[in-house]
Amino acid sequence: MRPLSAARPRLPLAACALLAGGCVGTGVQDVLAPRGPQAERIADWFWISFALAVAVFVAFVAVLAYGLLRARRLGERNELPPAHGRNLVLWGGLVVPTAILLVLLVLSAYTDRRISRLGRGAGPEPLTIEVVGEQFWWQVRYLDPAHPHREFTTANEIHVPTGRPVRLLLESRDVIHSFWVPNLHGKTDLIPGRTNDLVFQVDEPGVYRGQCAEFCGTQHARMALLVEALPPAEFAAWWERQLRPPAPPTDSVRVKGRDVFMKNGCGVCHSIRGTPARGRVAPDLTHFASRRTIAAGTLPNTRGHLGGWISDPQGIKPGNRMPAVPLKGEELQALLDYLHSLK
Amino acid sequence: MSRRLALDVSEYPALVSGPRGGLWWGMLGLIVIEVVVFGALIATYYYLKFLAPHWPPAGEPLPKLLLPTVNTGVLIGSSFAVYYADTSISERGDVRGLRIGMGLSLLLGVVFLVLKVVEYSQVEYFWDSHAYGSIVWTMIVFHSSHVLSVVLKTGVVLALSGHGHWSRERAQGVKVNGIYWHFVVLIWLPLYITIYWTPRIHG
Amino acid sequence: MATLEPAVTPDARAGDPELLERTWGSPPGLLGWLMEVNHRRIGRRYIATGFALFLLAGLEALAIRMQLAVPENDLLGPEVYRQFFTMHGATMMFLFAVPIMLGIGIYLVPLQIGARDMALPRMNALGYWVYLIGAVTLYTAFLLGVAPNSGWFNYPPLSRREHELTIGIDVWISVVTILEVAALIGAVGLIVTIFKQRAPGMSLNRMPIFVWSILVMSFMIVFAMPTLMTTSIFLGLDRRVGTHFFNPGGEGDPLLWQHMFWYFGHPEVYIMFLPGLGMVSMVIATMTRRPVYGYTPVVLSLVATGVLSFGLWVHHMYATGLPRLGTSLFTAASMLVTLPTAVQFFCWVATLWGGRPRFTTALHYALGFLVIFLIGGITGVQLGAVPFDLQVHDTFFVVAHFHYVLLGGVVFPLFAGIYFWWPKVTGRLLSERLGKLGFWLMFAGVHLAFWPQHHLGFMGMPRRVYTYLPEMGWGPLNLLSTVGAFTLAAGVAVFLVNAAVSLRRGEPAGDDPWGGETLEWSTPSPPPVYNYRWQPTVKSRTPLWDPDWGTQPVVTGLREDQREMLSTTLLDARPDNREILPGPTLVPLVTALATAVPIVGVLFGLHWVPIGAALFFVAITAWNWPGAMPHRTEEPGGREHRLAQREREREEAEEEAGS
Repeated sequence: MRPLSAARPRLPLAACALLAGGCVGTGVQDVLAPRGPQAERIADWFWISFALAVAVFVAFVAVLAYGLLRARRLGERNELPPAHGRNLVLWGGLVVPTAILLVLLVLSAYTDRRISRLGRGAGPEPLTIEVVGEQFWWQVRYLDPAHPHREFTTANEIHVPTGRPVRLLLESRDVIHSFWVPNLHGKTDLIPGRTNDLVFQVDEPGVYRGQCAEFCGTQHARMALLVEALPPAEFAAWWERQLRPPAPPTDSVRVKGRDVFMKNGCGVCHSIRGTPARGRVAPDLTHFASRRTIAAGTLPNTRGHLGGWISDPQGIKPGNRMPAVPLKGEELQALLDYLHSLK
Repeated sequence: MSRRLALDVSEYPALVSGPRGGLWWGMLGLIVIEVVVFGALIATYYYLKFLAPHWPPAGEPLPKLLLPTVNTGVLIGSSFAVYYADTSISERGDVRGLRIGMGLSLLLGVVFLVLKVVEYSQVEYFWDSHAYGSIVWTMIVFHSSHVLSVVLKTGVVLALSGHGHWSRERAQGVKVNGIYWHFVVLIWLPLYITIYWTPRIHG
Repeated sequence: MATLEPAVTPDARAGDPELLERTWGSPPGLLGWLMEVNHRRIGRRYIATGFALFLLAGLEALAIRMQLAVPENDLLGPEVYRQFFTMHGATMMFLFAVPIMLGIGIYLVPLQIGARDMALPRMNALGYWVYLIGAVTLYTAFLLGVAPNSGWFNYPPLSRREHELTIGIDVWISVVTILEVAALIGAVGLIVTIFKQRAPGMSLNRMPIFVWSILVMSFMIVFAMPTLMTTSIFLGLDRRVGTHFFNPGGEGDPLLWQHMFWYFGHPEVYIMFLPGLGMVSMVIATMTRRPVYGYTPVVLSLVATGVLSFGLWVHHMYATGLPRLGTSLFTAASMLVTLPTAVQFFCWVATLWGGRPRFTTALHYALGFLVIFLIGGITGVQLGAVPFDLQVHDTFFVVAHFHYVLLGGVVFPLFAGIYFWWPKVTGRLLSERLGKLGFWLMFAGVHLAFWPQHHLGFMGMPRRVYTYLPEMGWGPLNLLSTVGAFTLAAGVAVFLVNAAVSLRRGEPAGDDPWGGETLEWSTPSPPPVYNYRWQPTVKSRTPLWDPDWGTQPVVTGLREDQREMLSTTLLDARPDNREILPGPTLVPLVTALATAVPIVGVLFGLHWVPIGAALFFVAITAWNWPGAMPHRTEEPGGREHRLAQREREREEAEEEAGS
C-alpha cells in the first residue's frame, strides 16, 4: 500500500476542511497518522468507509428533503404512487444498504487478515517482549528464549528495532488494562489470567506515544507509554547498554543519593540491578535516566519534575501506589543526582 | 343523542382458568424469566468448564450419582401429584382430591430438600474453593430455594382449600401454582444432567 | 355469545360516568396516593421520575464536561470523577431510558388498545415502587459519597473486592438487581395486557405500531435482563462470600462478566430504542395525515431488530483477544442489524413523501431523530468492523457514537412523543414556538457536543479519563464539546419552561388536537379515570380515520360497580371473558418494601437476605389472600356459580330426556 501514502495526506485534509474538525493535529497518538503497516491498513479502511458514509448521509438527507419539499408543494393533492413507495423501501432500505455493507464487510475481513498475518509464518522472526500491566504503569521485559541471560526488565518505555515485527505478550497482574499505540496498531487488552498477543512493526524511526485504554482505576488517565523505534544497529547497541548494570557511583553526592534510596526503603518496591534494591512491584529503575518520562508518561523526566514527584506523588497522581517519602532538602538533591546518573 | 351499536358481553364468564386468564400469562412470564436465569447458570458452567484445565478441578472427585438420581425421581413424582391435584379441582371440582395431591406434592418437595441438604453436607468443597465450587453451589442453592418457595406457595394454596376457596370455576390459582411447580421440576433436569453427568461424559 | 343489537341508544344501557368514576377512582389524600393502581397515574409517575433522573444525569454530564473542558483541570478530582461518570452512565441506562419507555407504554398502551387498565394492576404498581426504591438507593449512596465508581458496566477484576473495597460497587449490584426486577415486572405486565386486553377486532395486525414496539421491547427485556441479574449476583457473591466466578486465581475468568454483561447490554440499547421507533411511526403518521407506509415491513423490522440484537454482543469485546473467526461473525451480525432499521427509515420517507406534513415540534424531533441517528448508525457500522474497532474502541469515538445513537434514537423520539401526547396527558397544548426553539438548541447542541468527540477519539483520547496533558492538543475540541453540552442543556431547559407554562396556562387541547388515527384520541384530554365510557371495538389499523367510526360498535354489559374489563383472544381479539381487576390497595407498596429488604439490606449484612425473603413471602401471601382484594372474587353462590349451576341442571335435564 506504499504508493497510496503520498496521496493520502491530501484526502484527510480535504475531509477535515469539510468537517471543520481538528483532525490533523499534532500527529501524536493519532489513529489517522499511521507509522506502521497495521495502522496504515486500518486507516485505509477507515477512509473508504468514510467516503461511503458521506455518500449515504448526503443521499438520505437529499431523498428526505426532496420528499418533504414535494409534499409541501403538492399540498392536499399529494399521494404516493405505489411503485415509488416500493422502490424507496426496497432500494433505499434493503438493496443499497446491503451492497454497501457487503463491501465494508469484505474489506474489513481483508484488512483483518492482512494485519494479523504479520509476524506469523514466513518472514523475519519477531522480537518478543512481555508487557505486564499494573495499576498504573507498564512493566516491560525483553525476552530472548535462546539466551535467557540476555533478558532484562524495564518499564513504561518500549524500544523496538525498525523493519522487524515485534510481538508483545500482554498480561496483567491486577485488573484489565489495554495496550494502545494508535500510530502503530489497534489495541489489545491485558487481562489477568490470560496472555494476549499483539504483533506490530514500525517502519520509520521515531517516538510514538500510547495510553492505557481500559478503565483500570483512579489513575487510568495517567497510564501512558512510549514506543521508540531505532534502526537495528542502534537498537542492538541499546540492548547491550540495558543489559549492563550501571557502574557504582564514585561521586560522593551520588553515593549519598544511593544511600538515601536504600535507607528510605525504595528498594522494597523498585529494583536497580547491581544493587540490593530488588523490588518487583514498581517500575525497574536500572536505567531510569535514559527514559523520557516519569510516572508512565505523566511528567517529563527532568530533575525538577523528578523532585516534585518524589516529594509528593499523591499530589501529582492521586491514587497511584507510590507513597510520599519525606526527605530533607539535601537528601533529595543527592537522590536526584543518583537517579539521574542511572543512564 | 347519537345511536351506537352495542356488543353486549355480560354473558361472558368472569372466572376463567388457564391461558384465558391474565394471571396465567403473568406466571408464564415469570417462568420464562427464570428459564433465562437458569440458562445463564448452565452457560456459565460450560464456559468455566471449557476454560479449565481439569473439571472438576484436580483433587475433587466426580459428583456422586445415587442420591441425586433418587432425588430426581422424588421431584418428578411430585409433578404427578400436582397434576392430579390440578385436574381434580379444575375438571371434577374435587376438593378432596386437590388436598391429597397438594399434600403429597408438598411432602415430596420437602423430601427433595432434605435429601439435597444431606447430599451437600457431604460434599467436600465449597463455593469459595474454586470456580467449580462456585457455580455448582450457586446452581444447587438457587434451584433449592425455588423448590422451597414453591413448597411454601403450595402450602398457601392448600391452606386456602381449607376455607372452601377453590371450586371448579375458581381454580386459576391452583393451575398457576401448578405450572410453576412443573417448571421447577423440569428445570431440574438440565441442571441434573449438567452437574452430575457432564463431568463424567467429557471428563 | 356476543349479541349485536342494532340501533340501541347508549343512554338506555349502562355507562353511568359517575358510577364508573367512583368504581375506578382512588381514595383521596396520601393514603390514596400510596394505594394507587390506576395505569395512567402509575405511568405518569414512571415518566416524571424517569425525567427527573434524566435531568440529574444531565447535570452529572455537565460536570464531566466542565472537568474536561480544559487540560489538567481540577474541578473534579479523579476519585470524584469516577463516581460522576459511573453515575451518569448508570442513571441514563438503568434509571432513565428503560423506565421512562416502560412508563410511556404503561400510560399509553391500554388507551391505544381500548382497555380500561393494565391486565395486572397491582403488579404494575409494584414495579413503580421497586423502581423508586432503586433510584433513591443509588442517589442516597451518591450523596453519601459512596456511589459506584467503576463505570456503568463495572468490569471485574477492578470491581472485585481486592481492587475496590468501596461499598459503591455493592450498591451498583443491589440497585441494578432491583431495577431489573422493576423492568421485568413492567415488561411482563405490558405483554399480558397486550395479549389479553385488546379491543374486539384489534387483531395483532391491527395494533398500533407503538404497541408493537412496546411488545417487542418487553420480550427483549424478559430475555436479556435476567442475564445481567445473574452475573451481578455472581459479582456480589465474589465480593461477599468469596466465590471465584471472575477470579483467574480460582479458575474463574474476568471475560465471563463481559460475555454475560454484554449479552444483556447490547439488547439493552435496542430495548431503549424500539419504543422510540414506535413513537416516531405514530408521530410521522399523524403529522403527515397518512398511515405509515408499509405497516408489515415496519412491524417485521421491529421484530427483526429485537431478535438480531441478541447476536451482537461480542462487538464490545473485540480487544480482549478472542479468536478472529468468531469476532468476524459478529462484524457480519452487527452490520446485518442495521438493515431492518434502514427499511423503517425508508418506510418513513415514503410516508412523508406521499403525505401532507404539518411541521409541528413533534415532527421536528422525529426528523431530527432521522438525521442524528443516521450518523450514529453509520459510526456503529464502522465500529462493527474488527480492525477499525481495535483502534477506536474505548476512545471518545465510541462515546461520540453512542451519544449520537442514544440522543438521536432515544431522546429525540422521546421528545417527539412528549410533544405529541402532552395534550392528551395534560389537556393542554405546549407552545410550538418554544418547542421549536428548544428543538434547534438541542439539535445544535448534540452536534456541537459530540461531533468533536469523533475527532478526539482519532487523536488518541481514551474514555473515562479525568484529565489530559495540554501537549496532546485535545483542549480546543474538548472545550467545543463542553459548549455543545451546555447548548443541549439549554434546549432541555427551554422544554422545562414550555412545560411549566403549559401546565399553568396552556391552551386547552380538546380531545384530538392533531387529528390522530388511534383510539387514545377518541377520549377526552386528559381521559377520565376509567379511560372509556364504553370500551371500543375496531375494524382497521386507523380506527379514527375510518369514515364510519361514528357507528363503530362499543362494548356494553360490563358491570360498573366493580372494576370489569373485557379480555379478548390472543390473535384475533375476539371477546372471551370479563377480567375483574383489584381496586386500590397498599399491598404493592408493602411488597415493594419487602423486596427491598433482601436486595438493599444485603448492603448492611448478609442476614438481611433470608429475613427479607421471609418478609417477601408474607407480603406475597397477603397479596393473594382472598380478603386482600375486595373487588376480585365472585362468592360461591355468586353469578358464576348460578350460571354454572343452571348449565349443569340443563345438561342433566337433557340427559334425562334423552335416556
